[in-house]
Amino acid sequence: MTELVTGTGEPTAADPTAAKQGAEPSVARVSQWADIRHRFFANKLAVVGLAIIVLLILTAVFAPLLAPHDPLRQDLNATLQSPGSGHLLGTDALGRDQLSRLIYGSRIAVIVGLASIFVALSIGIVLGALAGYFGRWVDTVIMRTADIFFAFPLLIGAIVIILLMGRGVLPVVLSLGVFQWATFARLLRSQILSVREMDFVHAAQALGASRSRIIRKHILPNSLTSVLVYGTSNVGIAIVAEASLSYLGVGVDPEVAEWGNMISAGRGFMGAKDFMWTYPSIAIVITALGFVLLGNGLRDALDPKLR
Amino acid sequence: MGRYVARRLGQLIVVVLGATMILFACLFVLPGDPVGQIAGSDKARDPAVIKQLHEQYGLDEPLVVQYGNYVGNLVTGDLGEDYTQGRPVTEILVPKLGNTAKLAVFAIAIDIVIGIAVGVVAAMRRYSIWDVSATFVTTLAIGVPSIVLGMIMQRFFVVELNWFPLIADGSFKSMVLPAVTLAIIDAALVAQLARSAMLEVLRADYVKTAVAKGLSRRTVLFRHVLRNSVIPVITYLGISFGTLLGGAIITETIFNWNGIGLALIQAIQQNNNPIIVGVVTISVAVFVLLNLVVDLLYAALDPRIRLA
Amino acid sequence: MRGARSAKWVAGAIVIALAATACGGSDDDSGDDNDSGKAGGTFRMGITEPVAIDPYNAQESEGILVTDNLFTGLYEPTSDGEVVPALATSKEVSSDGKTWTFKIKAGTKFSNGEPVNAEAFIRGWSRVAQKSAASDVAYHMAGIAGFDDVQAGKADTLSGLSAPDENTLQVKLSAPDFEFDIKTSHTVFSPVPEAAGDAKNKTYNEAPIGNGPFKMQGKWEHNKSITLVRNDDYGLTKAQLDTVQIDILNANNGVTLEYQGFESGQYDWARMPTPQLPTAKAKYEPQDEWIQQDTNGMNYLLPITDNGPMKDQKAREAVSYAIDRDAIIKGVFQGMYTKSTTILPPVFQDVYQKDLCTSCIKQDKAKAKQLASEAGLEPGSTLELAYNTGSGHEEWIQAVQQQLEDVLGVKVTATGKPFAELLEDQQKSGATGLYRYAWGADYPTPDNYLFPLLDTASINKDSSGNVTGDNRSRYSNKAFDDLVAQARASNDPAARNELYKQAEKVAMDDMALIPLWNRTQLRLANTKEFANIEMDFHENPNLAEISQK
Repeated sequence: MTELVTGTGEPTAADPTAAKQGAEPSVARVSQWADIRHRFFANKLAVVGLAIIVLLILTAVFAPLLAPHDPLRQDLNATLQSPGSGHLLGTDALGRDQLSRLIYGSRIAVIVGLASIFVALSIGIVLGALAGYFGRWVDTVIMRTADIFFAFPLLIGAIVIILLMGRGVLPVVLSLGVFQWATFARLLRSQILSVREMDFVHAAQALGASRSRIIRKHILPNSLTSVLVYGTSNVGIAIVAEASLSYLGVGVDPEVAEWGNMISAGRGFMGAKDFMWTYPSIAIVITALGFVLLGNGLRDALDPKLR
Repeated sequence: MGRYVARRLGQLIVVVLGATMILFACLFVLPGDPVGQIAGSDKARDPAVIKQLHEQYGLDEPLVVQYGNYVGNLVTGDLGEDYTQGRPVTEILVPKLGNTAKLAVFAIAIDIVIGIAVGVVAAMRRYSIWDVSATFVTTLAIGVPSIVLGMIMQRFFVVELNWFPLIADGSFKSMVLPAVTLAIIDAALVAQLARSAMLEVLRADYVKTAVAKGLSRRTVLFRHVLRNSVIPVITYLGISFGTLLGGAIITETIFNWNGIGLALIQAIQQNNNPIIVGVVTISVAVFVLLNLVVDLLYAALDPRIRLA
Repeated sequence: MRGARSAKWVAGAIVIALAATACGGSDDDSGDDNDSGKAGGTFRMGITEPVAIDPYNAQESEGILVTDNLFTGLYEPTSDGEVVPALATSKEVSSDGKTWTFKIKAGTKFSNGEPVNAEAFIRGWSRVAQKSAASDVAYHMAGIAGFDDVQAGKADTLSGLSAPDENTLQVKLSAPDFEFDIKTSHTVFSPVPEAAGDAKNKTYNEAPIGNGPFKMQGKWEHNKSITLVRNDDYGLTKAQLDTVQIDILNANNGVTLEYQGFESGQYDWARMPTPQLPTAKAKYEPQDEWIQQDTNGMNYLLPITDNGPMKDQKAREAVSYAIDRDAIIKGVFQGMYTKSTTILPPVFQDVYQKDLCTSCIKQDKAKAKQLASEAGLEPGSTLELAYNTGSGHEEWIQAVQQQLEDVLGVKVTATGKPFAELLEDQQKSGATGLYRYAWGADYPTPDNYLFPLLDTASINKDSSGNVTGDNRSRYSNKAFDDLVAQARASNDPAARNELYKQAEKVAMDDMALIPLWNRTQLRLANTKEFANIEMDFHENPNLAEISQK
């Protein structure tokens, strides 16, 4: 075990112990999607999680239809109005409709959450696979680079990138992606290493399967599943991180209808106008919870022994 | 073992150097002169003063030289001087680092005590009402981000009930809410981790053997089960202690805790680059060091693991 | 200018920089409690970490709070924009305005026993001017003969300073300045004892030994606290308070903490977060604990007048007409600001010309549109509006942005940038559009607004065409420059003020700056336990005069 560095890298994965014990991803997993689906839908909490996510995405897609007002339209004669008939969730300091901002905020959440994980997964899978396949110096270079990125706490790393690029959606997506790929790369690499040594791979080798066939048919599918599951549950983390960046004043632009911005704007009104920050807080909690439930459900469906 | 530690320390240096290099490159290309104006005003500094400050901070040198100087000083534990007060960065950050560490240690203690206790009970009484509610509560806790949790606790316990001081003076009382905010997600994860690790171990052959041998329940639990199931938990805690320093940015901002997270946010607003680099360097170094410690502990606890 | 108070624009920005209707209304808060005052007591308050408390570099309100109470110089500014003698017993200026002679009160001492004489002033002033000090406030001394030599390291002492006798200080200036006495009210002109050493003496920086109404107890505990105790050997009217306990709070939410601290009885003086103002006012104004004052500071939009869409005076006037200041003040600032209709702040009562800016008085969409089209500022064109982030400007900037877009039909790009980047942007030769800008004087004279902000000499372009001075609107009008020069050459304060008023009118007619709102400061003061509390020129409590009830 020379690679303890990586060994300690992925315990935050959906199944933190998987990498360590890596012993029994079932050979037949790939062919058992029906089983997995069955187990997933049998898990009520997982279904709730899925429902939340679907609802979130629908809200984001149909935001213009759902929102009663333009989320950017100011009305200085109606600022800081308490929730009521005109504005269901009240108005902010510029008289903008809070409900509409909340609805439009789901767009930023969805876009940033999915896009940043997509960026992280893309980099992580390519580099992790390269490291796992080629080993030797390729492995060393990639994994040492991963160490550097891994050592930046996510928010700190993201803040550095945003300092450089300025506020905005794209900088947020990139910064969150760039500082999360290392985890995926490590996870994939260690999965590849452990899958490679498994009986079914040895069996395939003994049966005379070609190297590339083994990689394509056996190693990659079995290694990727846990990476993708981990990626799914990390969408929630990315959304929370994005909101946190805005809360700190280093996220998307301040006028953008976004939950972290809304909480940040409402922060000073604590005790006086609590509606300003409580509703976006609830939105974030529900979203984050949805992803946690979904992630747990996926994990359990894939690897039911720990339920 | 000694060679292993030496090699890991070597890696640590590479990581810290890599991280500071990335950071230097980033900060250097930022537009604007960090000492171009009088702190916090629209007033441009006198060009003569700017020139003097550039000399003083070495800003007139090319980036490579600046970086070389920085690394050279870093070896002696010198992180340079900050741009607003001209005080040594270490002098500014060490007390703040202490404050952050206090918070992190408190949070880790909460993680360990609550997390393991809940996890163990849930595993021992599997599928009981305790187990089910533990699963429910921990899932919920993981889903509540610290910005929200912190705000809610501040609203309720400070503004409403006045149980805790609003001014974080470093006292135990003022530490409670930020520490809980910092800890709660990890505590929940630790609980889940401890539960599944315990279940895993309980199923293991050596436990069955121990029980078959007729060892007392207590002996089996403490000598075999706990010891072995604690390994993934320790691994996780090691990592999370490192990330706590990062998570502290949010917690410290909400609760006005005078740590390095808050220092970082302030430094960003003031273009106080030495502080930014200092905070990142410290948090990266702490993170990597902790990883090493965790791995060593890991080996100590699990004789099957050998460090090479 | 404003090295000083503006740290607050950053820290609390809008939060603190509030506007007010009635200035001076607070003055009578405690006026009749004078007799009941008695010595003793601890006054507690919170500030944010100052840059320095040593006079060589004390600059913002917080640093000056401490320095001003540790040191006493020749003159002191008053809260209503005047200066009054402190240690100076007389002043005399030569007819050419280049030689000033001050008599200093004899026999006063620093708290370590050293005498406060002319030599102590020469020592203090020269110490600041030295190059190695890299002092942000040294430029106030730039007019003293020999400044350049000391800056260049060729001399240690300002050659323009001399002590004909123990208690007489003679100052020779390199150019006429009939307001030099006013400048000496800045804390940078404090005397220091021999124990001070040079500006980089860390021990002294952290625990300055002064001659003020208070002295340090222990040293500056960074980010924690500063404690002042009464100086019982003070040479002028002694303070009443035993102790002043100053907590150093985090800039991020210091304002909230001050307010909460006041509410819970931990503090005797506090700022308030904007959102809480209505509640706080309702609660504390009836109890006579509410202080509201328009202070020495102004908020503007800075138009770039030599380039881009704001080059035409009519375009600037169009922008001014398009902004509904009243709506923003009511909606965003909870009605706590007063709008500006001048370049100079109302606190300069002698020169204040209310409603000088006609386009500031009321939003006029029709006029705005007409002027814009005359100036070629067509609907659909783009206008840049830049501000610094992290200082609470986001909301009102968005409001201005929307008003300009609605009224003028232009596309306004509002960009938030870190402070250093914003400055570089304003300075570079191709700058265009509008910038957020705020200013406050270092000493109470209109000159400290008009000259640095608007005089051609303050543009100060470097070889690559970048503006290095503070006139970043690049306003240049000979008529204005002449009036300011005449004012500066006048030895008669009344005539001088008249000329300043004329100069302000010229600049206002040109819309060289677009006034937004005044700097109104709001404070809570514990008038139940303390008498005579007022807000001073630096927006701090007048610690030396406060007494226990």
